[in-house]
Amino acid sequence: MAVPATDKNSARFLRVPRLALKHREAVEAWLFVSPILTGFLIFFLGPLIAVFFYSMTEWNLLTQQAAFVGMENYADALSRNPDFWHVVRNSLIFAAGLVPLNMALALTLALALSRPFFGVVFFRAVFFAPVVTSAVAWAIVWKFLLQNEAGAVNQILAVVGIDGPNWLREPDWAMAAVIVTRVIKMVGLNMILYIAALQTIPRDYEEAARLEGASNWQIFRMVIWPLLAPTTLIIMVITTIGSFKVFDHIYLMTGGGPENGTLVLAFYIYEQGFKFFNVGYASALAMIMFVVVMVLTIVQLMLRRKDMQ
Amino acid sequence: MTSLTLSNLEKRFGNVEIIRGVDLTIKDGEFVVFVGPSGCGKSTLLRMIAGLEDITKGSLYIGDRLINDVQAAKRGVAMVFQSYALYPHLNVRDNMGFGLKVRKVPVEERQRRVKEAAAALKLEALLDRYPRELSGGQRQRVAIGRAIVGNPQVFLFDEPLSNLDAELRVHMRSEIASLHKRLGNTMIYVTHDQIEAMTLADKIVVLHDGRIEQIGTPRELYTRPGNLFVAQFIGSPKMNIMPAAAITLKPAGREVGTGAAHSIGMRPEHLSVVAPGEGMLRGKVVISEYTGAASLLHVALDNDETCLVTHDGPAPAADTEVGLEIAIENLHFFDREGNAIDGKAIAEPAPLP
Amino acid sequence: MTLTVRQIRTLNRICWTISLLVVAIPFVFPFLWMISSGFKSATEIFGQPSLIPRVWRWQNFVEVFEYQPFARQYFNSLYIALAVTALTLVFSSLAGYALARMRFAGAGLLMLFLISALMVPEEVTIIPNFFLIRWMGLMDTHSPLILLPVFGPHGVMATFLMRQYFLALPKELEEAGKMDGLSRLGIWWRIALPMSRPALAAVAIITFLFSWNLFLEPLVFLSSLELFTLPLALSNFTDAYGLPLWHLQLAATSLAVVPILGVYLIAQRQIIESFALSGVKG
Repeated sequence: MAVPATDKNSARFLRVPRLALKHREAVEAWLFVSPILTGFLIFFLGPLIAVFFYSMTEWNLLTQQAAFVGMENYADALSRNPDFWHVVRNSLIFAAGLVPLNMALALTLALALSRPFFGVVFFRAVFFAPVVTSAVAWAIVWKFLLQNEAGAVNQILAVVGIDGPNWLREPDWAMAAVIVTRVIKMVGLNMILYIAALQTIPRDYEEAARLEGASNWQIFRMVIWPLLAPTTLIIMVITTIGSFKVFDHIYLMTGGGPENGTLVLAFYIYEQGFKFFNVGYASALAMIMFVVVMVLTIVQLMLRRKDMQ
Repeated sequence: MTSLTLSNLEKRFGNVEIIRGVDLTIKDGEFVVFVGPSGCGKSTLLRMIAGLEDITKGSLYIGDRLINDVQAAKRGVAMVFQSYALYPHLNVRDNMGFGLKVRKVPVEERQRRVKEAAAALKLEALLDRYPRELSGGQRQRVAIGRAIVGNPQVFLFDEPLSNLDAELRVHMRSEIASLHKRLGNTMIYVTHDQIEAMTLADKIVVLHDGRIEQIGTPRELYTRPGNLFVAQFIGSPKMNIMPAAAITLKPAGREVGTGAAHSIGMRPEHLSVVAPGEGMLRGKVVISEYTGAASLLHVALDNDETCLVTHDGPAPAADTEVGLEIAIENLHFFDREGNAIDGKAIAEPAPLP
Repeated sequence: MTLTVRQIRTLNRICWTISLLVVAIPFVFPFLWMISSGFKSATEIFGQPSLIPRVWRWQNFVEVFEYQPFARQYFNSLYIALAVTALTLVFSSLAGYALARMRFAGAGLLMLFLISALMVPEEVTIIPNFFLIRWMGLMDTHSPLILLPVFGPHGVMATFLMRQYFLALPKELEEAGKMDGLSRLGIWWRIALPMSRPALAAVAIITFLFSWNLFLEPLVFLSSLELFTLPLALSNFTDAYGLPLWHLQLAATSLAVVPILGVYLIAQRQIIESFALSGVKG
């Protein structure tokens, strides 16, 4: 790069040669992103590639033996291990219960709380409070509340004459309990997203519809709901992905039980990997989870792009 | 020595050519205005000089120093931005002193220079305010103050007055003019407003589509525009352009040939209304717009062209037949490519065929 | 019977408020019950239910600290969350700034690369990360609890949030800084960051809570009691048979949750907005 100072009668060649501004900017930019990028490569991309290779090994930490087995782990999961389909079923039930309940409640609360009125700040704060609370604390308290006879929930039910079930000891009730307590924990987030979306809808639309004689329900059905559609789609995908990632909640409330009734994918991966040390099999499960979540995310990004156009 | 030399400067964004080879010399202490319609590249050119855009091709010298790859801050230039770009989190004093602080100028020196600049711009009372607490005109002044404080060799102004209302704009214009007189620095000023260009500039550079159309003093551009674009861009209302073939020039009753001219330009303010049948042109008034100082007549000529005329005194009513007269030295001739032709060569009496 | 429009509106509002109060019960009740039970004795907890403890047993809160090194664990959570927050703020705003403002070859590819991180739950990479951390000799230390959140999907999300905010800042201010002689780093530090306080606050809030509430990573990487973080410690109040010691567990949970709730109540508007911002972007 150096330009020798051969032209002695011209000062302009005495200048210290340096990078062109454009290249300098590029070097600086890479320096700026380098911390994140380095960490990302080491703790994220590397492990992601590694998990793919692990998934093709039979590797048990206890016996310290590893062998390449190709797609055996996947075949194992998909066709031989009955647990896997049980887990898939549970995960789908969990999602199918959680997502509609969460979204319906979030939207209802958002509609009620999107306009200022006395107490609106209080209610928003209340419905959002569980979001900032640790999932561990939340699960512990609900586990306490949902005990069979000593639990506050059943004691309150007894007051009104209902004999409540042993919530966390019966598979179906346990699933229901986990879903509902998870919804209460997370619904505030979707509520906030819905409120934000509702507040961007100009009131003119609603007022125009009202002048034309539309009822509240008609206004919602024919004006608000269609305008919320992009938000609804995004919330749906985010919530679905979130439902597949639930781990701590299950771990602490039910431990996947009873009778594996709440054994969902994230928990199953943890159990296989860190309890039974089936590294290969757990990695295959992780890859399956990765693909599911990736597909959902790509769908979300596509929806979002369409929404932006 | 703070002359500037731009030689064959080019700027590309991807495949889009913004600046297509600009050659320009700016003398020490000159006030140069870049003017042109939006998108002509005038701001890009200024930003290339400032060091905010890198130079795709060509070379840029300040004095003898090639500065293509010198960082903005080390070029000895200061810039006043269109939006003023005052730091919202700093008060006026810190805004003005920011550059000195970055350059590690000692505190006392810094304070002295900020104070001087503030005094010169009547900003002393505002030094502790934040930008959001200032009016548009005050912000503008702070932005200029910030430029002065750094003692730059060259001042750059990027449409500095376009966010001000009309009255303030006139006022700040005169302040900038007196600033130039006082400091005597080289200044480069970008605007799309030709009045600003005409009033401020020692030298105007008319840009169009990334190229220089013409360089000259305001008077030169007005009286001898080099081509059709400049002719129509400088002057308000716009110069009337007509096909040469459509007009017969009869100054003082003598018929004159138009020679190689393809079109002829006449400024509205140079045309005067005479009795129908007299003068060079003849037409009918379509509308007359009263503007206060004068009236602007839209005259439909016999040859179907419409011609604008600035007219003092009582305006003729619509549908009035009028004649139009113009002094022969005020005619502008252009060839087929739109370049100006020297009028003297043409406006000689045509030899009879 | 006819009602005026005003009466209908008032009635409507009362109905809504009552319904909202009813819905609010399962949101509030667990907190109240948690705190109240934290004051009860082991026997009262299983006795007749009552929101107000018959005997306020302050002793629980002493025993919490005797049962395991709870103060130490509390401090662990706090300093780890602060470290994660500080590092995330620095790295995400640096990278976010470059992605928003600087032109460089490979920027598009890098973005795509980083976006892919948003897709992958921690559960997917936890197994190889376990081996990585073990190989680095960092098992049973706090390092993985700091490194993984900062450089994982959460850090990337923070980067995009910052980028989005930087994109909306007026560019001329940074150019003015450049003319004033600031380096890129100087522009980032002295112009871009001071103007991005809302975004920095949002990132700080969600990052702090993210780290504070982290469970899977501590569970996988920690084994010494005195290194535990709060979520892990909370799940650890059990008797010799592994059954929960509810009165201690709930007292400890109260100690962990109440300060956060207190801060939340004071700054709830800011905190909710932070989540809205990150939810919309991420």
